[in-house]
Amino acid sequence: MHSYVRPNQFVAFKLPSDQTRIQKIVPNTQVFLGKYGTFPANQIIGRPFYLTFDIHETPGEPDSTHLRIVSAAELHAEHLIAEGEGDGDDQEPSDEASTMRTNRDTIDDRSTQKLTIEEIEALKKESTGAGKEIIAKLLESHSAIDQKTAFSLAKYKLRKERKYMKRFTIIPLDVSYLTNYMLQDKEAARTLEMRDEALGLLGCWGNVHHGGSTSFDMETVLSNPNGRYLVVDDTGGLVVAAMAERMGILYPHDGDFDNEQQDAHQKVPATAGAQAEHEEEAQPTEGGAPSRRNRRPQMSAQGNTITLLHANKQPNISLLKYFGYEADDPSDSHPLYTNFKSVSFMQLLDPNADSIYAQEPTEIPAEELSTFKSSKRSAYHRKRGRWMRVRRTVDEARAGGFDGLVIATLMDPSSVLKYTIPLLAGSAPVAIYSPNIEPLTEVMDLYSTARKTAFINRRRELVEQKAASDDSVDVKSELEEEFPLDPTLLLAPTLETSRVRVWQVLPGRSHPLMSSRGGADGFIFHGIKVVPTQEHIEAAGNPSRKKRKIARSDETPADSGEGVDVEMTV
Amino acid sequence: MASPFLTPGSHSQLNQLALLHLRRDQAIPTVLQLHDEDNAGYKEGKVTTTRFGSFPHTTLTGQPWGSQIIASKVDTGSRRGRGPQKKNRQLKRKADVLTTNDSAEGANDSPSGSPQAAVAAASGFLHLVYPTPELWTMSLPHRTQVVYTPDYSYILHRLRARPGSSIIEAGAGSGSFTHAAVRAVFNGYPTTTTTDDTTPPPSSSSSSSSTSLPNKKRLGQVSSFEFHEQRVGKVRQELKEHGLDGLVHVTHRDVYQDGFLVGDAETGTSPKANAVFLDLPAPWLALKHLVRHPASGAESPLDPTSPVYLCTFSPCLEQVQRTVSVLRQLSWLDISMVEVNNHRIDVKREKVGLEYEKVRGAVVFPKSVDEAVTKMRHVEEHSRKYRELQQQQEEEDDLLNSTTTANTPLPASSGPAVPAKEEQAAAPSSSSSNIPLYKQGRLVHRTEDNLKTHTSYLVFAVLPREWTEEDEQRCRDKWPPHRVDQPMQTDKPKGRKQLKREQLQREEAEEQQQQQQKQQQEEVVAGGEKPADASEEA
Repeated sequence: MHSYVRPNQFVAFKLPSDQTRIQKIVPNTQVFLGKYGTFPANQIIGRPFYLTFDIHETPGEPDSTHLRIVSAAELHAEHLIAEGEGDGDDQEPSDEASTMRTNRDTIDDRSTQKLTIEEIEALKKESTGAGKEIIAKLLESHSAIDQKTAFSLAKYKLRKERKYMKRFTIIPLDVSYLTNYMLQDKEAARTLEMRDEALGLLGCWGNVHHGGSTSFDMETVLSNPNGRYLVVDDTGGLVVAAMAERMGILYPHDGDFDNEQQDAHQKVPATAGAQAEHEEEAQPTEGGAPSRRNRRPQMSAQGNTITLLHANKQPNISLLKYFGYEADDPSDSHPLYTNFKSVSFMQLLDPNADSIYAQEPTEIPAEELSTFKSSKRSAYHRKRGRWMRVRRTVDEARAGGFDGLVIATLMDPSSVLKYTIPLLAGSAPVAIYSPNIEPLTEVMDLYSTARKTAFINRRRELVEQKAASDDSVDVKSELEEEFPLDPTLLLAPTLETSRVRVWQVLPGRSHPLMSSRGGADGFIFHGIKVVPTQEHIEAAGNPSRKKRKIARSDETPADSGEGVDVEMTV
Repeated sequence: MASPFLTPGSHSQLNQLALLHLRRDQAIPTVLQLHDEDNAGYKEGKVTTTRFGSFPHTTLTGQPWGSQIIASKVDTGSRRGRGPQKKNRQLKRKADVLTTNDSAEGANDSPSGSPQAAVAAASGFLHLVYPTPELWTMSLPHRTQVVYTPDYSYILHRLRARPGSSIIEAGAGSGSFTHAAVRAVFNGYPTTTTTDDTTPPPSSSSSSSSTSLPNKKRLGQVSSFEFHEQRVGKVRQELKEHGLDGLVHVTHRDVYQDGFLVGDAETGTSPKANAVFLDLPAPWLALKHLVRHPASGAESPLDPTSPVYLCTFSPCLEQVQRTVSVLRQLSWLDISMVEVNNHRIDVKREKVGLEYEKVRGAVVFPKSVDEAVTKMRHVEEHSRKYRELQQQQEEEDDLLNSTTTANTPLPASSGPAVPAKEEQAAAPSSSSSNIPLYKQGRLVHRTEDNLKTHTSYLVFAVLPREWTEEDEQRCRDKWPPHRVDQPMQTDKPKGRKQLKREQLQREEAEEQQQQQQKQQQEEVVAGGEKPADASEEA
């Protein structure tokens, strides 16, 4: 859990302007928040999250910077007072109309503010109290402040606070916050304009969760490990991060609930929890493994794993750096080091075309190896380790049996489904995100009831043809020509979208926010992988009696799920 | 016991919950058993009957998850003295039994005997899938308003309910949120339930490792509160059937009055919650218990070492306003209110065109102006011909009238009907005969018919962990507040290549320096010699 700021961790700073700044907190350095100020990082390390600080400093004295915690009561002060007043108003509603101020007499230009820009700049330079004096001065020198209604006064003050307050809130950088940050403050296109609500839905429909402790019943677990998920992620690692968060393998400090801060600055030992059970896993036999080899090999976990399929040679998972996982040089204490695996589509479909997979580095006997120079020896170990890692992960992925499939891709989803659906275990869910609806309506169409029925009939025809004539009719390739996807493999294909609407809640002033970000809505497709029986089977369900009613009441949604009034044969 | 929700394994197992998936939005939850406890009188043991046929549990057990299961012929008519409805079928059934299962019949007389083998029916099937919170939400028995997937997926995401979290849920209701919450916080079964497992206890070495684990790792748990006694019983029973009873603690409690401690209301243990979900009519009345130091002096139900995330679920704006007001008074931060709008989308092929005569769901209407004009031309042509025909006939009639008085209007009315039929037959063959039906028409999408426009308002808030003057002092001692080593790290962290290059440059520079030094030394030596020579000379 995120209980306090740890050294060398990425955290988010929420600024008075509602913008977010993400920074790594390195001990003994300065944190620079633009016009909102600068302060030493040591002053927030070890402090709890969600606290709001004011930056106080005396101009001219470099060591005078200090942070003051702003209490919740102070943050809510205005609302609490307003609420108190509101209660008073309720008691005498008859007076309200006569005393209510309106904007009838307000002057709509800037002449009301008597303070000049030069004066404000001068104030800013000598200010010590986190910008409060400036705002007080501004209010004081506003000539028409008494004409403002309570609401417009509040708005005016808020606007000035956003501009001049030297204040910030520290927020733990988790997937939810990063998603909003990427959407609002960064390039949203990099994450396919993924919204928080879509990410939540994707995880639920993908049934992504921790694979469970395997400390008991070891044998069955090893033969059929739990919680293996397949993912195609073109959001720079955001979907992988969201899945890892749900599986408990994203945060290197997850699991140590140490109340004490004593070991906070020490290097945290290999993460406990999900990985502990994999530690005794057999080490790959590496000739004359030196002592440093006793660490867990990369991508070696059996259960509770994420396998990423990527289009290029290297996966783009750059956003994982915010969670302490550098794609180029992953730290072996990070849970993702063992539980995150990546396989390219080429490795999956044609592994021998991959040079690393296909060419085994020749094994060198231990005695010969000992004569090598140390640099050459480590190069050998590295090459050999890499080959074994690729071999293991690719073979594992090709063997299939995954417990879930989550897709957020730029590619055509149906082309991805063609190769990934067969890798799923029965009853495993499939969830696809797309910023636009068209790719997903096409997928829905590929699983339509009409197509399913046509597929089944065609297959039966071909099988009968094959049985009748001796010449080899290749049923599979014939079918694939007409049907790129086997429509019988997915149950209950559904398309949906979610959108969150934010409200302002204030006494007497509650309403939805006036504006929010447009852009992609974000759509989720989901279904369940099933194993159709090979026997000849027909649908039941009294078509003659129910036909009319079904056709009218729930025509398409129900039909796309199961054939009720459709002749269905396998 | 392992739960099929969390670790379903690869095959369905006896005494576990399985879902019989009939169609989208319709699945029947059932616990797989060979013998029916209710003793419904089936020869095949426990049987689930659906609109797509009957399914004896013998055909459902031990199957790979996701299998398509064929319905069985089950005698549903003659049990419990209900009059046989289809005599022929029953007789046939009996004949089957007599010929195939003579010995089994005998064994079946005793209740403990093994159930009779099922015989596949001619039609009907379903899919056997393992339960997930989503499917359960869809198929659970409704006791109260249910929190549906679009809401709970967002709530749990924002509550940061992650493996190892402890979450309080008040208002267990129908248990849909409970199941989703368990999945979110699950990171292993508690070790006490290991003994219940059928597998032998692990060897001493691995047991020691498993007992050392919980010390380090906190297991996720859900503490559920419900004030309706009957619902509490139902939820408990369900959770037991689902193998989740070790992970959820259900307490019968009025939380407005008695707070959130597990066990006894005053002396019970704290759930040490990181996340709270209140699905109550008046959440503000419960908030006084969710503080760091309750006024009653009891232990706080919150985790003292982490921030606490809260969500309340209220349908009305007035409830939200009171909740938010109390949250502000109790120092909750980052208060925000949202509503989730979710809708499902229908995708279908819209077929509009004159060629779709007699195609189900199609609209027979010109699909374009061109088609409309073509059709109009046809019609015009017809009427022209018709008029000509009529004129001709009239002329003929006149001729006839002049000769005979017989009136023959019939050929005139049947005249245009013949070419119209020809046109109908010709149109589809020209445009759509080679395109299969499932590819015809235009692919369209739209919001599904029944739309949920409002479920509830969600209020979110965070309570930071407590921070005292002593804590601050300890931090100051450990992290000197004004220590700044480097003036400012302005440039980006250097890449590996750059580091190498810099090292090379440094080495080169050192070499150069050394060489220079050498040269200098040599020069110095040479220079030293010179003056020596000079002195000698001198």
